[in-house]
Amino acid sequence: MHAAQKLWVRTCKKTLRSRSEAAMSHALDKAGRWIGWAFFADLANGLALTFGYMFSKPVTMQYPDKEKWLPYSRYRGHHFLKRDAEGEIKCVACELCARICPCDCIEVVPYEDEKGNRRPAKFEIDTARCLFCGLCEDACPADAIALGQQYEFSSFSSRDLVIGRDDLLAKPGKAMTGGGVVAARLSTERDVLVEASEPRGYNWWRNIRRK
Amino acid sequence: MELVVALGLIVFKVALLIAILLLLPLPLTWLERKIAGHMQQRMGPMRVGWHGLLQPVADGIKLLTKEDHIPAEADRFLFKLAPILALAPPFVVFAAIPFGETVSVLGNEITLYISNLNVALLFVFAVIGLEVYGVIFGGWAANSKYAVLGSLRTCAQMISYEIPMGFAVIGVVMLAQSMSLLDIVRAQSDVWNVVYQPIGFFVFFVAGLAEAQRIPFDLAEAEGDLGAGFHTEYSGIRFALFMVSEYVVMVLVSVLTVILFFGGWNGVLIPLPPLLWFLLKVAFFIYLFMWFRFTFPRYRYDQLMAIGWKVLLPLSLANIIISGVVFS
Repeated sequence: MHAAQKLWVRTCKKTLRSRSEAAMSHALDKAGRWIGWAFFADLANGLALTFGYMFSKPVTMQYPDKEKWLPYSRYRGHHFLKRDAEGEIKCVACELCARICPCDCIEVVPYEDEKGNRRPAKFEIDTARCLFCGLCEDACPADAIALGQQYEFSSFSSRDLVIGRDDLLAKPGKAMTGGGVVAARLSTERDVLVEASEPRGYNWWRNIRRK
Repeated sequence: MELVVALGLIVFKVALLIAILLLLPLPLTWLERKIAGHMQQRMGPMRVGWHGLLQPVADGIKLLTKEDHIPAEADRFLFKLAPILALAPPFVVFAAIPFGETVSVLGNEITLYISNLNVALLFVFAVIGLEVYGVIFGGWAANSKYAVLGSLRTCAQMISYEIPMGFAVIGVVMLAQSMSLLDIVRAQSDVWNVVYQPIGFFVFFVAGLAEAQRIPFDLAEAEGDLGAGFHTEYSGIRFALFMVSEYVVMVLVSVLTVILFFGGWNGVLIPLPPLLWFLLKVAFFIYLFMWFRFTFPRYRYDQLMAIGWKVLLPLSLANIIISGVVFS
C-alpha cells in the first residue's frame, strides 16, 4: 500500500469514528433529557435553587429600626455653608450659586460687615425645589457651599424646607468615611430621628449572593 | 357514668381539635411569610414581636376591626353563608383523621382520634368535596366578574382533580384491604406505601396541591389575572374565614399524604414518640407546600386541565392496574 493510500484510509476511519461518537453522545444527550423530563429535573433544579437562597444572607437593610446607610462622601445630600480658619463664614455673597441654580432656589442678599468684607445677610435655600445637582458647589469661587451626606430632612410643611444662613452653617459637613451600613435607632420622642452611633459600617454589598 | 365520661372525652377532643385548627393558621402565616422572605433574600416580618412572631396577631386584629363590606349587588344570604360553607368541611374531615393509636393519661388509655370510621377514606373524600360549594357560592354571590371567573375556575379544577385523587388512593386501599385510616397506617408498619405506590403518591400529591389551591394550581385566586379570585369582594373577618379554611385544607392534605403514603405515625431508624413522628412528617409536607409556592410559577388554565385529564387521570388508572396485577 502506498503512503498516500494509508493516509486516506486512516483519515476515513478517523472521520467515521468521530461521527459515530457524535451520534452516540447526541443520543445519550437526548435520552438524558428524556429521563430528566420524566423525573422533573427542571423542577428539582428550581427547588434546589430556592432552597439555597433560603439559607443565604438576606439583603434587607433594616432601615429605621436597626440599621442605616451612610452615603459615600461624594454623595449630594443637604447643603451646608463652610467657615474659614477664623470661624468667619466663607461665603462672599457673589450670588454665582443663585445664578447657576437651575431651579432658582437660592436667594442671597449681600451686606458689608465691619471689616469691609462682602458677606451674605440672607442666604436661603428652598430644599423643596432643589434638585441636588451640585452646581452651586461647582460655581462657588470661595469654596463656601457644598452638598453633604445628610438625607433625612422630610417635613410636613414645605415652608420648613426653606433653610436659612445660620441653619446651613450648623449643618453637618462632609465626612470622609461613608458607604456602609451602621447600627441605628429610631427615636420618636420629640421628632422622628434615626440616630446612628458609629462612623463606619459594614459594606452592604457583601450580602449580595453572586451565584 | 361510663357514658358520661366517654361523651365528655369526645366533647373535649372535639373542642381541642377545633381550637388547634383555628389557631394553626396564625403560626402558619408567619412561617409562610418568613419562608417567602428568606427565599427572596428578604427577612419577612421583623417589627412586631421577636422576629415578627406577633405579626399574625396584629394581622388578626386588623382583619377583625376592618369594615365588613358587602357589595350592593351581592346576594346577601349566600355572601354571608359562603365563608362558613368553605370553613366547615375541612374541620369536619378532621373528625375521621387519626393522629396516633393511643396515649395513656393518668393510667387511662385515650385514643388519639375522635372516631375510627371503617369507611373513613370515603368520608374524607366526600366531605372535602363539599368545600368547593363555599368557593362557588362566594364567587357567585359577590356578583363581580373576577369572583365569578375565580369560582368557575375552581369548580372545573376541583372536578378535574378530585377524580385522579380518588383513583390514586385505590392502590392504598388495595394494599391495606381496608378503608379505615387506622388500618391503612397499621398496614404500613413495615414498609411505607410510598415504596409500593410511587405513582399513586405522585398523583395524590399533585392533585392535593390543586385541591388546596396552592401554587402552581392556585387559579381560583390567581392574583395576577383575577384580583383575588373568588374572595375579591370579601373583607375583614369573612376574608379571614376563607384564609383559615385554605390553611386548614393545606394541613389536611399534608396529613392525608402522611397517613396514606408515608406511614402515618410509624417511625424509621430514630425511635421518637409516634405522635412526634407524625407531626414531623406533616410539618415537612407543609414546608413542601410553601417551598413549592415560592419556586414555581402558576400553570395556565388549559395546562391545568391538560395535566388533570391527560396526565394524572391515565397515571392513576395505570397505577390501579399495576397494583392490581402486582399485589393480587
